[in-house]
Amino acid sequence: MKKLKNLLLVIVTLLALNVRAQEQTQAEKLSEVNDKVNGLLERIATDEADLQKLTKIKVSGYIQSQYQNFETPTLLSKSQNYFSLRRVRVKFTYEAADGVKFVLQPDFAPGNLSLKDAYVVVNDHWKKAFSIWAGKFNRPNYEVEYSSSQRELTERSLIIRTLYPGERAIGAKLEFNPVNVPIHMQLALLNGNDGLTIANSAGTNLNATDNIDYDNFKDIMARVTYNLPLGSFGGLDFGAHGYFGAIKSNAVKTLSSDYTTLSDIKFGDKLSRNWLGGEFQLFADVLGGLSLKGEYIAGKNATVGYAPVPAAGTVAAIPGVANFQNNFAGGYLYLIKNLGKKNQFAFRYDYYDPNTDITGKDVAVKGFTSTDATLKSKMSGKGDLATSTFGFAFHHYWDDNIRITFCYEIVNNEKVGTAGKVVDSYTTEAGNPGKLDWSNSINQNVFTLRIQAKF
Amino acid sequence: MKKLNVLRSAIVAVLLGLICFAFTAAPERITVKGSDTLVILAQKWAEVYMKTNTGVSIQVTGGGSGVGISALINGATDIANASRKMKNTEKDKLKARYNTLGVEVACAKDGITVYLNAASKVKELSIAQLGKIFRGEITNWKEVGGDDQSIKLYGRENSSGTYVFFQENVVQGDYASSCQTLPGTAAVVNAVKKDAYGIGYGGAAYAEGIAICKVKRDDNSPAFAATAETIKTGDYPITRFLYMYLRNKPTGEMKKYIDWILSPEGQKLVVDMGYFPVK
Repeated sequence: MKKLKNLLLVIVTLLALNVRAQEQTQAEKLSEVNDKVNGLLERIATDEADLQKLTKIKVSGYIQSQYQNFETPTLLSKSQNYFSLRRVRVKFTYEAADGVKFVLQPDFAPGNLSLKDAYVVVNDHWKKAFSIWAGKFNRPNYEVEYSSSQRELTERSLIIRTLYPGERAIGAKLEFNPVNVPIHMQLALLNGNDGLTIANSAGTNLNATDNIDYDNFKDIMARVTYNLPLGSFGGLDFGAHGYFGAIKSNAVKTLSSDYTTLSDIKFGDKLSRNWLGGEFQLFADVLGGLSLKGEYIAGKNATVGYAPVPAAGTVAAIPGVANFQNNFAGGYLYLIKNLGKKNQFAFRYDYYDPNTDITGKDVAVKGFTSTDATLKSKMSGKGDLATSTFGFAFHHYWDDNIRITFCYEIVNNEKVGTAGKVVDSYTTEAGNPGKLDWSNSINQNVFTLRIQAKF
Repeated sequence: MKKLNVLRSAIVAVLLGLICFAFTAAPERITVKGSDTLVILAQKWAEVYMKTNTGVSIQVTGGGSGVGISALINGATDIANASRKMKNTEKDKLKARYNTLGVEVACAKDGITVYLNAASKVKELSIAQLGKIFRGEITNWKEVGGDDQSIKLYGRENSSGTYVFFQENVVQGDYASSCQTLPGTAAVVNAVKKDAYGIGYGGAAYAEGIAICKVKRDDNSPAFAATAETIKTGDYPITRFLYMYLRNKPTGEMKKYIDWILSPEGQKLVVDMGYFPVK
């Protein structure tokens, strides 16, 4: 009996020890799991912090692939129809902090890798109305700032392409967007000569370095727009912009727009480039939504000539070319209509007269005849003719990212008064000579089929 | 040649005329997307409306105000629900894509409620204190009369209208990096419910099982909780309208639906679901 008691005591003791040992193991396991969970939480917190940094970087972009057919005669030098990549852009935006943004946008179009945008924007923290931009950005103008991924015609109107080549400029800009007033003001100080060709006597472009200004004169651009609500009808945005700039003279004479007045100018003096424009955009919530947009710009532009080069050794003297200051005018008018949720139709009339002091009948008649051997004569020509374009576009939005565009542009040139006065000679692909007489309407219509993928 | 030009011009004029007068028929199937704050109310409206209008199909999803407005801009939804006003940049995108400024319909009112854990000793906070807390300048509850414990912040993702509204009107700066972002107001409420030292914000309709923090306009003002009365009188300082945005003026079935939402029947559902009527 005693033996049985002892045996039971031993068994109970062993069981108790086993339970305690199990409890200890479970506690250890629990502690281990707890440590692991804490470790994981710590890692998640670190990953979250890293992810939050990544959310400050936004990447967007678009590719425009297109087929174009040009009505111009088949030349040896240029194909009449081809596929091309118009835009291959990726835009990186980094919001470093509240109100501080960096933007970098390269264009990877084949054979033409270039930096389109590179700027920093700093917003004021107090009123949240002012922002300062610095770097390379779009010039303040409606059609310039309207992205080609949204634009209703395949290219900007001719006047905008002429005045603002490449759209961007390097400089600084102050923007004012008050929170409670629908006004938008921009004031920019720019190098101003971005994209211009300034040829010297050897035909070399003196303005080929995009990153550095050609001269010491900085140009001012200003734009003011106001959004006027029109109740349930829609809204009217209207405004104006002005360009007040100058370019360094590389010549010692300047010829007026009508080819009559030759004035003296010093090498390095200011050659002014000033113009004003008025704009409107009417958005009407009728018949599914349509808009009318227009802009008119007029002013004085300038082309830089060059000074005469005296003879040296065996090299003959090169007579100079006078600067040319042309009074110009032009504009555009869009009609855009939505056709359901997926389709859109657009019509645009655009007009650009590079020289309002010369009409077609005067071209090749009016001109400056130099009596000075050191200065070349200059006859009015093709560059003085006005161009008007009727553009029709149909867009189909395949989905959120893809837009398919059919566009046809009918290009009409102002005609020269007398036949045979302004003629372009060319050689066809077959090797035959051809002539384009600008006293006629020149076939310049363009058909474009474009697919745009945007992300 | 002249005759040909006249004929061409006439054809162009007729085509332009036809295109200008082409318009879109109102859809029989209405899609609604956007604000998570508004989603439970929007689903209720759709459910009740479809019962009496059997020919109409209304599909409601959330995702946040920003997501809804983006969907409106790219044509993926007919109505965007938003707990904030449309931004100018968004209006510009709508102008560019659809040539309209959009139509804004205020459909309900809401008080952004500050959620605290039921065990929290803190009962009221001023707007300035809330701003400091969510900016990460006040990090311990003892600084605002609570326990000596770290404050745990819970908020919404930046696509949320509530996130934007709370940031603009209360935080007035960047949210603290320690603020945990959660997908939806229900998730914020859940997190605060489980965390004794948590604080979050969101629509009044979601405030269940947690303590509602009274809010003071400034240190000298009385504190108010978000109730129908305080929101109506304007005493509760964090109130806002909830909106529906459309691309165009509503017509057909869409108009009938919007009119019904604004009718006494639709606005009664607003109250039933814990929101506040527009009038």
